Amino acid sequence: MDVFSNLGIGFAAALTLQNILFCLMGCLLGTLIGVLPGIGPIATIAMLLPITYGLDPLSALIMLAGIYYGAQYGGSTTAILVNLPGETSSVVTCLEGYQMAQRGRAGSALTIAALGSFFAGCVGTIAIAMFAPVLAGFGEKFRSPEYFSLMLFGLVAAVILAHGSVVKAVAMVILGLLLGLVGTDTQAGVTRFTFGVTELYDGIDFVPLAMGLFGIAEMMSNLDRKFEDRSQTQKIGSLWPTREEVKLAIPAVLRGTGIGSLLGILPGGGAVLASFASYTVEKKVSRSRHMFGKGAVEGVAGPESANNAGAQTSFIPLLTLGIPSTPVMAIMVGAMMIQGIAPGTALITERPTLFWGMIASMWIGNAMLVVINLPLIGLWVSLLKVPYRMLFPCIVILCCVGAYSTGSSTFLVMMMGGFALLGYVFGKLGCEGAPFLLGFVLGPLMEENLRRSMVLSFGDPIIFVERPISLTLLLMSLGLVLMIVLPSFRKTRDVAFQE
Amino acid sequence: MIQVKHPQDFWSGALFAVVGAGALWIGRVYAFGTATKMGPGFLPNVLAWGLVLIGLFLMGRALVIKGAPLSGSAIRPQAMILAAIFAFALLIERIGLAPTVVVVAVLAALASKEMRWKETIPLGIGMAVLSVLLFIYLLGQSMQPWAWSF
Repeated sequence: MDVFSNLGIGFAAALTLQNILFCLMGCLLGTLIGVLPGIGPIATIAMLLPITYGLDPLSALIMLAGIYYGAQYGGSTTAILVNLPGETSSVVTCLEGYQMAQRGRAGSALTIAALGSFFAGCVGTIAIAMFAPVLAGFGEKFRSPEYFSLMLFGLVAAVILAHGSVVKAVAMVILGLLLGLVGTDTQAGVTRFTFGVTELYDGIDFVPLAMGLFGIAEMMSNLDRKFEDRSQTQKIGSLWPTREEVKLAIPAVLRGTGIGSLLGILPGGGAVLASFASYTVEKKVSRSRHMFGKGAVEGVAGPESANNAGAQTSFIPLLTLGIPSTPVMAIMVGAMMIQGIAPGTALITERPTLFWGMIASMWIGNAMLVVINLPLIGLWVSLLKVPYRMLFPCIVILCCVGAYSTGSSTFLVMMMGGFALLGYVFGKLGCEGAPFLLGFVLGPLMEENLRRSMVLSFGDPIIFVERPISLTLLLMSLGLVLMIVLPSFRKTRDVAFQE
Repeated sequence: MIQVKHPQDFWSGALFAVVGAGALWIGRVYAFGTATKMGPGFLPNVLAWGLVLIGLFLMGRALVIKGAPLSGSAIRPQAMILAAIFAFALLIERIGLAPTVVVVAVLAALASKEMRWKETIPLGIGMAVLSVLLFIYLLGQSMQPWAWSF
C-alpha cells in the first residue's frame, strides 16, 4: 500500500534525533499549558512562533503541532483533579471527571482519559494518512471559484459554531476580513488602511495580533475575576481502572474517536465541538444513564477521545486544501508562511517529507504523551500550585519579546498592546475572537480568489453556481444558514453551549 | 423614552458601526473598479457597508430586546498590563533586554493586589537571565542584553 511507504518516509524524517527532541518539547509544553488554566494553545503557539524562525521547517511544525494535541491531554488533568478546565475542550471532562475524582477514582479517570486519547490520536493519525491524499487529489480540481466557495463555507461554519449571538459572530468575521485587507494590494499596487506606517505595508503582522487578542486579552479578563483556589487537588489514587470501568470505557472511546475524527474535519469544528458532541451522545446511549452527573466513566472516555481525535483531524483541511478550519490552524498557517511554505494541495506532492514527517510525528507524539501524562502526573499536579500572580508576568514578558522579535520593531509591541485592549473589549461585549481570527487569515485569500473568479467569468457571478463543486459548497453553506434560522436547531445549539 | 436594554449588543453595534464608517471614509479614495476588474476598493467597501449595517441593526435591536449588563472592569490590572507592554516598547531599544524585562515584570506583577516584592524581584531577574540566554544567545535575535542610549 502506498500509505505505508509514505508513512515510512514520514517516520524516517520524524525519527531523527532533532525532530524527536522537538516533538518531545512540543508535547511537554502542550501538557504544561494544558494543565495550567488561563493560557491556551493559541496564545502559546503564537508566543513560540518567533522561536521557530531559525528552525528547520519540519522541526518547527512538529513542535507546534505537539503543543496543540499535547494541550488536549494536559487539559484533562486539571479538569479531573481540580474541576477547572485547563482547556476549552476539556470543559466537558470536568462534569464527570471531577465527580469520579470525588469518588476516589481520579487515577482511573486519568488513565482512561490518557489511553482513550492515545487510541483516538492513533486513529486520527491514520485517518489523516488515508484521507489527506484523497482530499488533496480532489482539491487539485479546485480553481478560484471553488476556493472562494470553500472559504465562504468555512466562515459560515465558524459563525454557527461560535458561542453567543450569530449576528455578532457575522460582524466579527467581517471585521476580521477587513483587517486582513490592511496593507499593500498587490494587484493594484495601492496601500490600504496603513496610515502611512511602514510596518503595515505587508499587512498586519499575525503574531502580535494573535498574542494580543488571545494571549494577553485572555489574561486581562482573568485578572478581572477572583482566583479560584487551585491548591485543593483531589487525591489521585490507583491509576488502574477496574474491569467494570474498562468495559464501560471501551465502547465510549470508540464512539468518541469516530465522532471526533468526523467533526474535526469540518470547518470550524476541531477539538471543542467534538468533545461537546461526544458527551451528548454518551448521555443518550449510555445504559447507566443515572450515573451521568455522578461520575460516569463514559462521560470521561468519550469526550476525551473525541477532543484528541478532533485535534488531529482538524489538520486535514489545512494540509490538503490550505484552508485553516479553526483558530489554532490559522496560527499554523502563520507558522508555515514564516517558513516559506504555502499550505495547499501541492504540499503532499511537493514536500512529501514535510507532510508525512509531520503525520508520523503526531503518532510518536501521542505515544510520548501517554508516558508524559501518566507516570509523571505528580509533577504536573505540583505545577498547579504555582500561583497565577507569578505566571502572568512571565506571559507578558514572553509576548512582548515575541512581538518585538517578529520584526525588530517597537511598533509591533504597541500594536500587540492595542490588540490586547481590543480583545479585552471584545470579551466584555460578548464578541467571540475565533471568527475574527479566521476572517483575518482568510481575508486576503478570499479577495484574491474572488478577483480571479471574476476575471475568469468576465464579471459574471454565475460562475460560482455553474461549477458543480463550488455549487455544492455554496449549497452546504446555505444549508448551515437555514439551520440557524430553524428554531429547533437554535434550541439545541443553545443547549449544547450551556452544558 | 429611549433606553438601552442590551448594553453588550448596543456597544458592540456601536463599535462595528464606527469601524465600518471609518473604513468607508478612509477607503473612499480606493478605486471601486468593475466586476471583471475589481479595484482595491471593492471588497473593503462591501465589507465596511456590511459592518455599518450590522452595527446599526445591533444598536437598534438593543433598544428593544433585553440582555445581560456589562460586567465591571477592574481598572488597575488592565492599566498595569498595558503599561507593562508600552514600557517594553519604550525601553527595549534604549536600555536593552535584561533591564527592560525586570521593569516589565514589576509593572505586570503590580496588576495583582497580591503582588509581593520578595517574589517579583527574583522572578524579574530570573526572567531577564532566561530571556537573554534564550532569545539573544540561543536564538540569535538582534537585541542588546543591556544598553544606555537615550
